[in-house]
Amino acid sequence: MDTVPSFTPGHCPVGPDSLTQIKRLQTNPARWNGANWNDFAAALRAAGVELLESLAACGAFATDAGGTAYGMPHGVVIAKSAQQISALLKTAQQHCVPVTVRGGGLTTEGESVAFGGVLLDMTGMSRVKSIDKNAMTVRTECGIFWHSLAEELRRDGFDYLSAPLNLTSTVGGSLNVGGIDVNSPRLGCSADQAVALQVVTPTGEIVECSETENAALFQRAILGYGQFCVIAEATLKIRRYTPIRMHYFYYSSLRTAVEDLQLLDRNDASDYSGILTIMDSAVNLLVAFDSVERETAFNAKWRAQLRGHGELGFALRALPRYALRPWKLPEALYLWRRKQQLFPEFRRPEYVRDGLMQDRTVVFSRAVWKYWGSRQMVIPDIATSVEKFVNAVERGNAVCRKYFPHYTLYCVGIKLRDDHQPHYEMSCIPPDATGWAYGCEFEPMMDRVYSRDHLQSFKNEIYDIGVDIGASYYRFGGMMKGYIRRALGDAVVDRHLAMKRKADPNMILNRDVIF
Amino acid sequence: MPALAAHSRSGFAACSGCSLCLLVCPVWRKTRDLRYTPHGRAKALQHGVPVAELKNSVESCTLCGACEPACPEIIDLVGMVLSLRRQLTAPAAVTMNDTNGKTANYAGQRVLLATPALRETVVALERTAKLLDCVVAEDNGADIALALEAGTPIANARRERFLTPLFSAKKIIAGDGLLARQLKDWLPLIEITSPGIALSKCSELRRHLRSDDLYVIEPRAFHANYDELVLYYDDLRHATGCAMNLDLQRIAIPATARNLRQRLGVEAEDNAAQTRWLLQGRKIARIVVEDAGDIAAFRQVVDMPVVHLAELANE
Ligand code: SF4
Ligand code: SF4
Repeated sequence: MDTVPSFTPGHCPVGPDSLTQIKRLQTNPARWNGANWNDFAAALRAAGVELLESLAACGAFATDAGGTAYGMPHGVVIAKSAQQISALLKTAQQHCVPVTVRGGGLTTEGESVAFGGVLLDMTGMSRVKSIDKNAMTVRTECGIFWHSLAEELRRDGFDYLSAPLNLTSTVGGSLNVGGIDVNSPRLGCSADQAVALQVVTPTGEIVECSETENAALFQRAILGYGQFCVIAEATLKIRRYTPIRMHYFYYSSLRTAVEDLQLLDRNDASDYSGILTIMDSAVNLLVAFDSVERETAFNAKWRAQLRGHGELGFALRALPRYALRPWKLPEALYLWRRKQQLFPEFRRPEYVRDGLMQDRTVVFSRAVWKYWGSRQMVIPDIATSVEKFVNAVERGNAVCRKYFPHYTLYCVGIKLRDDHQPHYEMSCIPPDATGWAYGCEFEPMMDRVYSRDHLQSFKNEIYDIGVDIGASYYRFGGMMKGYIRRALGDAVVDRHLAMKRKADPNMILNRDVIF
Repeated sequence: MPALAAHSRSGFAACSGCSLCLLVCPVWRKTRDLRYTPHGRAKALQHGVPVAELKNSVESCTLCGACEPACPEIIDLVGMVLSLRRQLTAPAAVTMNDTNGKTANYAGQRVLLATPALRETVVALERTAKLLDCVVAEDNGADIALALEAGTPIANARRERFLTPLFSAKKIIAGDGLLARQLKDWLPLIEITSPGIALSKCSELRRHLRSDDLYVIEPRAFHANYDELVLYYDDLRHATGCAMNLDLQRIAIPATARNLRQRLGVEAEDNAAQTRWLLQGRKIARIVVEDAGDIAAFRQVVDMPVVHLAELANE
């Protein structure tokens, strides 16, 4: 690890066990000690806020999608309105009680787990307020699942612009951390779609903000990892709904596939693009279009330049490779079995008709939960500039190979907006990225039981690559927060920490997530 | 809790907390409170919460079954609620049919077990029987269906009196999806279907479906046999051009949201929000229902023709 930049110990208030040259351990936060809880609970109830303290209420939030961080809140508040959240935060400030905000709970590093204190369940605020067909925007409460938003928009023939390919991501969660879709290479991350927000600050003020109104707060709210406010409502851009035309290209080289992905993105050659792999043995570049015109233009100009093959062409090329390496037969069998599972799932006729995929999130998310999901998930990632991406993917892949027999990589680009640079500071968008940022998730298949140490060491090795090459991470909070300072440097972290202390005097809001 | 395990495809212990069940659950839509969802119940049980503390949640479930095809862990979520209800005291007693009438004989016949709502919709009942070439059973097992729903015991004598005439039936068309589910266990050798599915296969009815119809699938029967039926209904939708009460996952949106207390008549029904959600944004001129029990709910919130599927035969 001699390439890791040197670091001065002693200045860092976070994750001391993640510093250079010290053996890294899991940084699961200590549980808050519960001081003043009863006084707080009484004051909160006096303020008219319902606080649930039963095991049935608290137990439901004991972990997140990762299933490796466990913490029990002292109580749960189901979000109902900005006013109620305001009352909660004001009371929590007075009594120094931590409040952890949870959307869909799809974090993997315990970012949405309350290690004591209050768990604020934002899904209670999940109603669409209005659709403005002229402005092409929707105003919605932010605990809403993107999929529920899609259900409502679709009744009027509309769709959101981009959202994570997971049915239970929430709007608020994505605005806080980014949110990446396979159309992000064209449309940017989900957080970039927000036009205006209603937020509640850590001291309980309810504030409207946008690029023109309270712009500084807007900049900190978007991609702010919940440090500077709770996002209660958002106005988001929408568009007309279209089913999409999918094309799949198969590669046996990660590098070639990534280069082709970037070729497409650079030239705006497709509406959707991304890479999904079975180890590095079957690398699938998916390309899709909203219209016949775009598809035709792609076929005419770009298709021939792609070096991937169709399903049959790929299989024919793979056969001799495995025939000459009989010791790799188990891998070939695994690929075959996986193909038999996955391919029908991505082509289910009730979701894909006449070559048109009706709803990409339904198809991908159902497949992901069915064939990738498990009670424990670790999905470390690296987010880099265009130039560093191939290197990051190849190095991360080598780490996956070392730790797991079976895994998946998911790569996608994010179009960056020049005017959103202030939002990107200290986020998953790496500081040196221009034009696009690229992210790769490294997801081991949990087809056997792994110890927590094994999983943690794997994550550390992936994240070390990020530090080494100067990258950022999509999941950089929670148990991996020690890396923020290592990857992004003291100056930016200290600046944000100072802003956080000013905005949140008692550091009550999502205190274990970043700082 | 062995009773749960016995009914499980997977048991509550398999719940990963993914929340996918919330997306389709009418009770979640109404309450936005995790405690009233499969996710909330499974997690509570995982943490050792006593069943008695889950009473309100367990009673809130409408048993529409929408959560089952949504659950990636393939948990027997309807079975879980039924099992929990059996461990709790029902909010009201179910009056069982104890009359000792003449024993019918349905040997070799198709038998329709009509729901009380279908029985009241006389024209639809007659046409259903005619179109499906079946006899309408005198004993429709409505009390048994309600007892199953409430988790109250069913005396062996009553069960036998209900089942004996059905043993030799050729086919049973059961209007109540929960009863149909149980009949598959009790009479594994007999073909059991629902009136909606059987009627929707009649070409005489299909040709009357229009592109400005909203076709409302009965959710219990559909979700209980989702893997087989999802494509069937999707094909029907494409063939006729009508809209259906399917969401983007192709899971049925129930037209009503009757919880146990409402089914037992101890609480007033309150379906308007659910029915309105189903109708929201749809450009339709007529509603065609598989379940006669949905007719009243639609008529309360919308001013357009609402007909039972069998009634289309008249046109
Ligand atoms: S059966 Fe219906 S009401 Fe009950 S939990 Fe499942 S989706 Fe919700
Ligand atoms: S869908 Fe299944 S696994 Fe997921 S939260 Fe609901 S019950 Fe649990």
